[in-house]
Amino acid sequence: MTNMNEVASKPGFGTSAHGSDVDLGQVPAKMTVRDLNFHYGEFHALKSIAMDVPEKKVTAIIGPSGCGKSTLLRIFNRIYAIYPNLRASGEIVLDGENILDPKYSLNRLRSKVGMVFQKPVPFPMTIFENVAYGIRHHEKLNRTDMEGRVEQALRGAALWDEVKDKLKQSALGLSGGQQQRLCIARGIALKPEVLLLDEPTSALDPIATSRIEQLVEELKSQFTIVIVTHNMQQAARCSDMTAFMYMGELIEFDRTEKIFTKPNKKQTEDYITGRFG
Amino acid sequence: MHATVSSNAPTTARAEEAARNARDTRNDRLFGGLLKTCALIVLVSLVGAAASTLWLGRDAFATFGWGFLTSSAWDPTNNQYGALVPVMGTVTTALIALIFAVPVSFGIALFLTEIAPNWLRGPVSSAIELLAGIPSIIYGMWGLFIFAPFVATYIKPWLMNNLSADPPDGKISWLVQHVPFIAKFFSSEYPFFGAGVLTAGLVLAIMIIPFISSVMREVFQTVPTRLKESAYALGSSTWEVVWDIVVPYTRTAVIGGIFLGLGRALGETMAVAFVLGNTFKFTPSILETGSSIASTIANQFGEAEGLQKSALMAIAFLLFVVTFIVLTIARLMLRRLASKEGS
Repeated sequence: MTNMNEVASKPGFGTSAHGSDVDLGQVPAKMTVRDLNFHYGEFHALKSIAMDVPEKKVTAIIGPSGCGKSTLLRIFNRIYAIYPNLRASGEIVLDGENILDPKYSLNRLRSKVGMVFQKPVPFPMTIFENVAYGIRHHEKLNRTDMEGRVEQALRGAALWDEVKDKLKQSALGLSGGQQQRLCIARGIALKPEVLLLDEPTSALDPIATSRIEQLVEELKSQFTIVIVTHNMQQAARCSDMTAFMYMGELIEFDRTEKIFTKPNKKQTEDYITGRFG
Repeated sequence: MHATVSSNAPTTARAEEAARNARDTRNDRLFGGLLKTCALIVLVSLVGAAASTLWLGRDAFATFGWGFLTSSAWDPTNNQYGALVPVMGTVTTALIALIFAVPVSFGIALFLTEIAPNWLRGPVSSAIELLAGIPSIIYGMWGLFIFAPFVATYIKPWLMNNLSADPPDGKISWLVQHVPFIAKFFSSEYPFFGAGVLTAGLVLAIMIIPFISSVMREVFQTVPTRLKESAYALGSSTWEVVWDIVVPYTRTAVIGGIFLGLGRALGETMAVAFVLGNTFKFTPSILETGSSIASTIANQFGEAEGLQKSALMAIAFLLFVVTFIVLTIARLMLRRLASKEGS
């Protein structure tokens, strides 16, 4: 187990000699998705999805536009529930509890499952307040503790050194990459267990992108990460497990290295070799 | 032949390009000038209107001096005029209107953008726009014949029972005994008369709700979905998203919308002329009758001559001044908010 973790957390572990022997199936599942169906009104957007999201690993979800990858991610913290006419059925078990159960409190779910969106969206507040805002919804901290938590979150998101002298300035003055790391800081400030990243680098330049990817690598020692991306290299670079989705179905879900070298399904192979999508 | 073509073609092309360039520059300058003229028309008419009311009101200003601003006399028989009562009536009715209209508009706009199901948004929005299209004289008639009697029967007795020093039921309330001056705002010489400052303010509130709520609804829709989703994803409730994200994001435009409504309330004429009572007694009570600048002008201009006409022009000028002061306060408020935020 220890050995496997070591191997798995090394960047590019899939290419190592015994990489193919690593059985990620032995890693305990943080989230178990069972027979998940999702409807937008009449449209059947997700069809009987079943997967185990391994704990403290990076799981990538790839697939062509409209395949339902973002939809799936948005069910993991029930963010879809703010819109009318959207329905999810089936179950997603997080630590033994079904989060789709209406009795599961949204507030608790969102403190356990954080989310970072496609475009950086700092709130129109100071940098400090951006991070402190979410914490206040869940904990009452005094000023010193709050300052500590904000610093810890900003350090965790590799942003502290760049902003420590301007915490009182508006977050809107940061660059796109910094804003996105601020959003990650905001997410991890709540100390969630799962972190959902919805195409977190699609609006960023290559340098900012590689910083975020590096950060994902660092964060997976503490969090279970699910990342949606349309960039296949990104999935190959920074994930342990990859799910390929097409037309609302989960076509294949396996170790990243397996998906990108010898996928089981023809559709997966066609997609990763660029024959469609 | 071949030689001529090859040597002439670039020259002609260049000449054409230069001509085209000159034409473009000229057209752009013409277009710019045209737009500037349009903008100037607004400025010129504003300055012109203010200057002509000041000029035509010069007799009143010269006769009464600064006393014109502080005197509460408005007595055409003795040719004594002071602007205090109409100016105060204008400001008080507009403020009462805002106090009621802003929270209601806020609620309407938030309901329509954040909570209402899609099928309800269209009908409610059109109903609000219809409300904005009703002529003010209709509001005035409705106010006089339906709303004022309602105020006289239900609202006024209740307010007087609880807040005046001379309650119809004879029991002086705890509030009146313990809060100084409060009774002054709720006294009334004619308890059964519905017209008055409060009634006018409420009618004005109904009139400006469509304006404020449409502006608020429009600007609430401009808040990026991803910003709201980010807040929801941190565990915020709808109320927290609205208060912490939607309102700060749209604050400038919301305040702009409120002042649009305030501007309309300050200048509203017919509806106020119907329900304000048009008396010139100076009183702080909102249950008494009063007059506003616009209603005074509407009621008296037809028969006014000489000094009275000049006094009416003078208060018209004061309406400009009041509006200008209100807008300046709004600007200053926005600037202070912006600097507080650290942007």
